[in-house]
Amino acid sequence: MTKKIFEAAVRYQSGAATLDLCGELTGLADDMLNVAYTTAESQNPEVIFLNFAEVDYINSTGIAVIIGLLARARHASRTLIAYELRPFYAQLFDLAGLSEYMPILTQETDSSVPA
Amino acid sequence: MSQRNPTVSPSPSPAWQTLDEFTLPNELDSERLALLKVTEAVRDLRLPAAHLERLKTAVAEATLNAIEHGNRLRPDLPVLIRVQVSEKALRVCVTDQGKNGPFPKPEAPNLEAKLSGQQALRGWGFFLIEKMIDSLRVTGDKAQYTIELFLYLEGGNDDQKNF
Repeated sequence: MTKKIFEAAVRYQSGAATLDLCGELTGLADDMLNVAYTTAESQNPEVIFLNFAEVDYINSTGIAVIIGLLARARHASRTLIAYELRPFYAQLFDLAGLSEYMPILTQETDSSVPA
Repeated sequence: MSQRNPTVSPSPSPAWQTLDEFTLPNELDSERLALLKVTEAVRDLRLPAAHLERLKTAVAEATLNAIEHGNRLRPDLPVLIRVQVSEKALRVCVTDQGKNGPFPKPEAPNLEAKLSGQQALRGWGFFLIEKMIDSLRVTGDKAQYTIELFLYLEGGNDDQKNF
């Protein structure tokens, strides 16, 4: 089995930053994702988007990583928004209660999501 | 390491046909291999996509639990997985070599408590397992610990689970 590497790239828009996530979101992605999040925070955006379009696997430890980011965002009064989650993982996030704290959008249906 | 779809069941119960049985190295990303192999083992059952997604998540989380908590990340202790089917259900047994006695049911995750630092960020595995499958059974002795995951082939809890 080929091991997929997790990657997170940061880009900025007016008042917002986006983390483009790629690969498998597990606990092994914790350090990389937090470094990318810190980079995104450096320009003090009001909103940070998490783009899950290229994330093909999420497990419970990956959910914990996202909760860690959510705690950081809440502490800094920032809004965290997820989009392009696979439907099954959107349901898992909802099951875990994440959708009550972090809007989960589809890029196609929400014009507020940056291009 | 494994055989796909053997026709003769070595199971103690004649009602269960073993589809595959294999061991995994006790490494953190072995759970991905587990779900791939289980997916392959049940391919001919043509499970509905929603059932399969639930099964994959439950198997992955049970395997991760075995690696981390049962075998305590020790590389010399394998995880054993057995996939069986009967007329009415699919059963996946995940066995670790953790000599830790009965596995205590973990504290229910509380997201608000996690966000405020009052509860560890992790601790979602057992919660997800329970939500994904129709029933489970845990057995253990001084040598091994097994979690059995059951997915009913007809009349499961799809409506209640909303998956």
